[in-house]
Amino acid sequence: MTETLNFLDPKVLASLHNLELRARVVVEGFLSGLHKSPHRGFSVEFNDYRHYQRGDDMRHVDWKLYARSEKFYIKQYEDETNVRCVIVLDTSASMSYTSGGMSKLDYGITLASSLAYFVMRQRDAVGLITFDDKIRDYIPPKCRQPHLMRILRTLAQVEVGEKTNAVKPLSDLASSLTKKSMVVLITDMLDDEKRVINTLQNLRGMGNDVIAFQIMDDAELNFPFNEASEFIDMENNESYITSPAAIHKSYMENLNEFLAFCKKQCQSSGVDYCLLNTAEPLDEALSAYMTKRGRSF
Amino acid sequence: MVFLTPLFLIGLLAALLPVAIHLIRKEKPPKMMFSTIRFLKKTSKKLILFQQIQQLLLLALRAAVIALLVIAFARPLIDQTVARLLDADPQSVVILLDNSMSMRYGATFDDAKAAAIEILDDLSPGDEAALVLFSNSAETVRELTTDVNTLRSFVEGMGESGYGTTRYMPNLRLADQLLESSRFENRAVYMISDFQTEGLEGSDDDWKLAPGVAFMGIDVGSEESTNLVLTDVRSPERLLEDAAEQQILVRVRSSGSVHVSQGEVTLAIDGNLVDRVPVDLIDQSEQVVNLSAVFDTEGTHVGEVTLNGDSFAVDNKFYFTVDVSPKIRVLVVNGEASDDWFDDEGHWFGLAVSSAAESPFVLELVESAGLSVASLRQSDVAVLLNVGDLSDSQAAAVTSYVESGGSLLIAPGDRVDADRFNQQLGSISPANLEFQGSTGSDDYLVIADFDRRHPILRPLEANWSVRFQGHWTITPNAEADVLMQFDNTEPALVERSVGEGKVILFASTMDLEWNNLPLQGLFLPFVHETLRHLVQPPIKQRAYQIGDSFSIALNEQPNAVEAQGPRGDPLEFLDDSYVVNAATPGLIRATVDGVPQNYAVNIIPEESRFAKTAVSNIYDMIINPDTEPFQSREVRTAQLIEELERPQRIWWWILSLVVLLLLTETVVANRTYR
Repeated sequence: MTETLNFLDPKVLASLHNLELRARVVVEGFLSGLHKSPHRGFSVEFNDYRHYQRGDDMRHVDWKLYARSEKFYIKQYEDETNVRCVIVLDTSASMSYTSGGMSKLDYGITLASSLAYFVMRQRDAVGLITFDDKIRDYIPPKCRQPHLMRILRTLAQVEVGEKTNAVKPLSDLASSLTKKSMVVLITDMLDDEKRVINTLQNLRGMGNDVIAFQIMDDAELNFPFNEASEFIDMENNESYITSPAAIHKSYMENLNEFLAFCKKQCQSSGVDYCLLNTAEPLDEALSAYMTKRGRSF
Repeated sequence: MVFLTPLFLIGLLAALLPVAIHLIRKEKPPKMMFSTIRFLKKTSKKLILFQQIQQLLLLALRAAVIALLVIAFARPLIDQTVARLLDADPQSVVILLDNSMSMRYGATFDDAKAAAIEILDDLSPGDEAALVLFSNSAETVRELTTDVNTLRSFVEGMGESGYGTTRYMPNLRLADQLLESSRFENRAVYMISDFQTEGLEGSDDDWKLAPGVAFMGIDVGSEESTNLVLTDVRSPERLLEDAAEQQILVRVRSSGSVHVSQGEVTLAIDGNLVDRVPVDLIDQSEQVVNLSAVFDTEGTHVGEVTLNGDSFAVDNKFYFTVDVSPKIRVLVVNGEASDDWFDDEGHWFGLAVSSAAESPFVLELVESAGLSVASLRQSDVAVLLNVGDLSDSQAAAVTSYVESGGSLLIAPGDRVDADRFNQQLGSISPANLEFQGSTGSDDYLVIADFDRRHPILRPLEANWSVRFQGHWTITPNAEADVLMQFDNTEPALVERSVGEGKVILFASTMDLEWNNLPLQGLFLPFVHETLRHLVQPPIKQRAYQIGDSFSIALNEQPNAVEAQGPRGDPLEFLDDSYVVNAATPGLIRATVDGVPQNYAVNIIPEESRFAKTAVSNIYDMIINPDTEPFQSREVRTAQLIEELERPQRIWWWILSLVVLLLLTETVVANRTYR
């Protein structure tokens, strides 16, 4: 029995080293599972002409130009995007954790690149901010095709940072946004979550759409360890010796309390919250984005 | 709690294995990079403490499982039950502890004491025990008592063994008698000894222990022994001054199981070494050694024979005493002197007194006229041979002489007048003369009977073939003893003590006129023994053996009598007759009114024979056929334990507990994380 290949499976994606290809696989794979939307277009700003080709929608024929030149020209429009999406990616040290498959950072990069590809495919402007305890890369939102490649290159060159401080980049972003935008935060939230969520609430309060993707490794979510070990914090190098199985219950309680807090605080302030397990496909993340984007195909 | 297979308890060390593993595996845990430890650090301290307690509980459970398994294999038993059942069968035991001289060999006696203590320790509360220290007699007896601690203290406090000889049967009889008063059915005799064959001497083969009395012999003797022993020493007891060099004969024997071939014998007189002779036993088991000594001064001399060459010194000494006395002065009053020696009354007597090579007598021969108070004073004994013409003053002097302690021998003949004799000497004479009797030339009287126990006649146990053709018919004094009779039942020899003196009357002559006594071989010893008896007091025995009791030689009314043992310790007299017990070899030095006396006490050489007899031999001799075979306490305990273990089955409960603990361990282990 042949097993159906799921292109959204992180394991499959991890084997794709080309980030653009990975993003395309994600998005196209995701979209291929959807029904075609009756919506007829979303670009309204005229950009160029081209010759009519068979199969083109006759509604886009410029009849006035046909009257003058007796040739069929198809109007091409540059979509006037009314969505500016800024992807804010956490590259702190904790994001580099992996229990075997993709690290959270890889997963976040894949998600970011997929979102960027997806946004660009929607003709929306997309920008990128990477940060740890400070902003490492900033690419303002644009909707041109070369811009996507820049974002992907930046994502491909992301390096693992140090401590996390999401408040500052988000605050800076808030102050720099002149239009209503969509802010997509990709992080593990292993920071001062109260301040982070407060900042997100501020962004939301400014009229922006905010989506928070909290990426957690499967080992973080289930804590499957048994052997006594010395756990070393990847951000501050503190260590803690314990018997994981012994404190499993306690860990899970503390973790769930943390996740519940993040979810509750986000939801109560209108921030879309989506918890992602690096062991699971990216469908949920894209679905969440689409839901927020409010468009269908 | 007792264990039937206690060796398994060594396995308890295995209970340390979980602890050891716990300590060994307490290495540094592996490091693991993790995104954050914030959720770990929030873990409750109580939870951590609980986990630690769980780990310790797990450790304890595992150690307990191993320990209980080991204990189960050791087959535990509640000993209170054993003790109760053993106590329910109380016993009476008599411990016969050999205290003879042979037990002094090596550490034999210490081993015997240890064995006795072990027996006492094995007794249960309520058991009763008796203790008898024995050799040839029961020296110390502690009768049946439940106060075992007192017996144990007594045994622990005992010093060294005694010097007596071993005799088993009398003491086994004593033990049997002690057990007659036992309150319990379970009775036993423990004999702790080196089991010398010598100890069976004089055993009564028919005697048995009472039915039901068990016997247990504990042999503590050495399998191998080396010993030289002085089996016999011959030495003179009494000598006269100017005696020649004396020979001391010593018999030396190797009596141990391992032959000793060489040694040396030394002789010391009055503490001075006088002779030394090597002993060669290479080709013989026994040798007679001749030692020489001269006793040339008057008084009592102490001799000590010492044997060297072995490790058992107790039987290597022999003590003896020699009394050296001055010669006896004999005043012979010849009542019928004659130029012809054949008819001379004193000739034959003089020959008998002075003819010996070293005569112990100094003879002064006088006629009746020469008898005076002065001559009597210079004599130890006076002899009246057919003296019939004493004046009254001479008779009075003789009477006074006798009454003041002098001795007198009277041999009346035909010159004696009966009435005159009876008148002059009747107060001191053992008999009155009646008349002279004659049998004629064809007939004669012989000696029909004599007192064989009398000092004079005891050594003359022979056929008296003397023929008497003439004699005096006498009437013995009431205070006199008839020592010899003619075959016509008339007294021939009578003795009487007068004051401090003694008088003997021979109812015939000392020449050939009335009898042929002077021609008999008995004549000389008869004369010598008679004179010695009259002059010297009876020889007081000076040499004794261990175990003897004897009285100190006393004056009639002694004022001060003291005695010291061989070690210089004052001896206590057993009664008013100053009897002492010879318990230690050596010299007992006594003083009676300031006059010293020495008594030699020697060991009994038979005790030095270390040949052993098997305990089973004695068992077979004395055990009653109705007695059940003896079971030691260990065997009885083992049987009881076996019987008790069957219903108890503690090991079964322990194994059940182990299973339970294992289940608990499984549960706890699943809840406990490393």
